[in-house]
Amino acid sequence: MFCDEALDSVEAIAAGELTPEGRIAAHLETCPDCAGALRAARDLDQMLRRRAVPAPPGNFTAKTLARVRRVRWRSEQHVDLAFNVAMGTVVVALAAGALLLLARAGLAGIAGDAFSLVSRTAVDAGRRLSGSLSVYTGAAALLGTALLIWWWAERDSDMANG
Amino acid sequence: MQAGNERQLVERCRSGDEHAFQELVEAYGNLVFALIARTVQDRSRAEDLAQEVFLRVHRALPYFRGEARLSTWIYRIVANVCLQEHGKPALPLSLDDEATHGAARAAASVDRRFGDFELRDRLEKAIARLPANYRLLIAAHYLEGIRYEDLAEALQMPLGTVKTQLHRAKQQLRRLLETELK
Repeated sequence: MFCDEALDSVEAIAAGELTPEGRIAAHLETCPDCAGALRAARDLDQMLRRRAVPAPPGNFTAKTLARVRRVRWRSEQHVDLAFNVAMGTVVVALAAGALLLLARAGLAGIAGDAFSLVSRTAVDAGRRLSGSLSVYTGAAALLGTALLIWWWAERDSDMANG
Repeated sequence: MQAGNERQLVERCRSGDEHAFQELVEAYGNLVFALIARTVQDRSRAEDLAQEVFLRVHRALPYFRGEARLSTWIYRIVANVCLQEHGKPALPLSLDDEATHGAARAAASVDRRFGDFELRDRLEKAIARLPANYRLLIAAHYLEGIRYEDLAEALQMPLGTVKTQLHRAKQQLRRLLETELK
């Protein structure tokens, strides 16, 4: 029973947080097992104090900041995507609402006439331009390529800046 | 770091000053890494987890109300990260691990009395067998710069409980060294 009490205090005594007094001090002087436990606890305390402190790699700060930027960039991309999806949904909903309104108000016929007028105009314009189709196709391809290169450059620059 | 400087640093970080966040990582990087490396005992995993700590710090800084000291708040995040890691088994220590050799060489120059590699190897193996919360307590208590009070606040435990748990951790460690790993 007394050994149990002394052994419970051994760690605190070894760490210097408790000074053995009275019967515990007397017991530690006479009981070889408890005295041995105190010696072992003191040795362990010293070993733990002398344990090597692991140092981070030299580029730890740079790597951490790069990771923070990467994660933030990804999170901003997700926000952008969510915003674009939301805007797309709003546009589709507005278009659907407008069509529904036209149908309810009996204006669908007028809208149909307007649509056929616009389509006829587009077809006529297409016929007139068909002679120079190859020129327009080439110009469109050049413009598309330029836009693609610009998009890639912007994307790389965004990633580099985090 | 003094409380006034901490507050200024936090405010600068909140206002989006990247250089301020770099200062924060530089100020706490060594301590955070050492604490985690001692707890998980695997350098590459420790580096990853230390970065994870700073990611969480960066994400949560706008919500930091300054009720606790910045250092205490960071230790709390370290404790959460380490204890979440607890679900994964501690990696066995390898004698071929360059990091283990490096740490052993550094310690040998510091203290010849305990310079015996085998003894330290046994100690590291015994620590690896402790529960994660005990490993964390031992790691933090024996690292300079972490006060008992900070530790109690970070772990949201009364000071007395921290001390009792630390004594139990050392008792278990001593028993492991005296019996199974003798």
